[in-house]
Amino acid sequence: MALQTQTGTSTDLNAQIFQRLHPRAYLERFIKEDIRPDGREATEWRDLSVHVGSISTANGSALVRLGDTTVICGVKAEIAEPDLERPKEGFLVPNIDLPALCGPRFKPGPPSEEAQVLSDRLASTITAAGVLPLSALCIHPERAVWVLYVDATCINYDGNVFDAALIAMVAALKNTTLPTATFNEETGRTMCSRKLRKPLPLECLPVSYTFGVFDGTTVLADPAAFEEPLLDTSISIVLDEGGALLSAGQLGIADKDTMSMCVSAAKERLETYGREIYAFLE
Amino acid sequence: MAQSGFDRRRVNGPNESLQPVYDDGIKESNVLYKAWKPGEARRKRQAKDIRPICARHTATPPTPFVTQTVLKTGFIKQANGSAYIETEHTKVACAVYGPRQSKSSSYHEIGRLSVEVKFTPFSSLVRRVPIRDAEDRSVANLIQQALTSSVRLDLLPKSVIDIFVTVIECDGIESCIAAATVAASTSLAKAGIEMLGLVISCSGAVVGDDVWLDPNEEETQLASGILLCACMPALGVMTNVWQTGCLPLAKAFQSLQLCQERCIDIHQIAAQALHED
Repeated sequence: MALQTQTGTSTDLNAQIFQRLHPRAYLERFIKEDIRPDGREATEWRDLSVHVGSISTANGSALVRLGDTTVICGVKAEIAEPDLERPKEGFLVPNIDLPALCGPRFKPGPPSEEAQVLSDRLASTITAAGVLPLSALCIHPERAVWVLYVDATCINYDGNVFDAALIAMVAALKNTTLPTATFNEETGRTMCSRKLRKPLPLECLPVSYTFGVFDGTTVLADPAAFEEPLLDTSISIVLDEGGALLSAGQLGIADKDTMSMCVSAAKERLETYGREIYAFLE
Repeated sequence: MAQSGFDRRRVNGPNESLQPVYDDGIKESNVLYKAWKPGEARRKRQAKDIRPICARHTATPPTPFVTQTVLKTGFIKQANGSAYIETEHTKVACAVYGPRQSKSSSYHEIGRLSVEVKFTPFSSLVRRVPIRDAEDRSVANLIQQALTSSVRLDLLPKSVIDIFVTVIECDGIESCIAAATVAASTSLAKAGIEMLGLVISCSGAVVGDDVWLDPNEEETQLASGILLCACMPALGVMTNVWQTGCLPLAKAFQSLQLCQERCIDIHQIAAQALHED
């Protein structure tokens, strides 16, 4: 998986066995040589590609690949009555699924704890960043609003699904068009027109940058599936397209400097690459 | 459709939500055959044509799903074998894990093939609530039936081979099952599991006097009966046949014959995809 350069030789077999038996020592030896098992440097990111609108049954969709990590996201729009306390606000319901297909440690059945935590983090990030004002989903106050089900599915798990899923969800929302809907007060029904479709008024396009801290000192950008379980700390920095810090999260311990270092690394990455992510979706 | 019940393990929306209703009264699933009358010819392709599996799209950004051949193997890195198949709007991903140790304590002389199918919530025109329903199981059962006799399970006692299928988009359930069967069999071959032959599947819908192969959702609704056939073209044997609706015996045999002929072509594509890897 990791050593693609020496396939088929006996040394490769030994390296693979060593990697499985002593993953920590395996990674340590790579880090000592300032390289990671997949050939990247510590601060290097994997290639990102975003492809939108390939699913015709969804109102909007996006396929995101971050290295080998693949997340596909579809938005389905339905109509519901609004919450009594918020009569002019629609609903945005983001969820991610990590099916058994995407990696050997995932089981079929209801969402695992990992998927639940991920869904919750994605939902709170999207809400906190104010990606879409919920008032824009109002059709008729107190009677009808849009519900946007933003469902992401991980097809291939190779680490850092949070970053990939956030980009997939935002790109899918950006790709979403809603038919114009009118609420008829006499009949109490909402009718949509197929001819007029309009895009969602997104106010913020967040991008997340995740870093892992290995061995208390080495900061690894965009951790892969093999590195993830060996990390002491995982730090996610969410920036908007202007570089403003929307949220920062740290799981595990780290020096007080590590966080600020990650923020500046994230900003650097945004400057060099981040702005292009959603730009081509215009 | 309506979200039934509240699930603590997911982010929840409102208790009830409904599909949008359009003012022109046409369902979204009925665009191609809006003014179709019985006896008319098939739209867009010939009755005997299947949707392209091995087409190359070019004008799209580089993703594994669209730029390369649309039957692609080995794209899930951590799986022993995997395949992705796309026939126009039907998109299915499949991964094989195993053979691994069976979790059940009882001893089994032969290995077991376990198939799990999952539809993404956005895979059909009506949103699928993400709860395992009966359809997942019946689809899984059909795929398992089609594959079981092709795998040398007698060589793998006490073990289980897990086949996970995720339907990303479904356009016609029968042709989706056929595509999933092809993907699953190709994944098994990719995983290096001993088999007697590749299982290839094709579906045919009987519309009036014609048999339309690989029907999409709209064509399924026009059909009086649909036949799904899985076979091993290399050995010339059938592994599973499933028929729904009302068909005269002659029509059923005719569709079976046509499906089998088409399976030979698909077999070539699958073999080619495995060979190119």
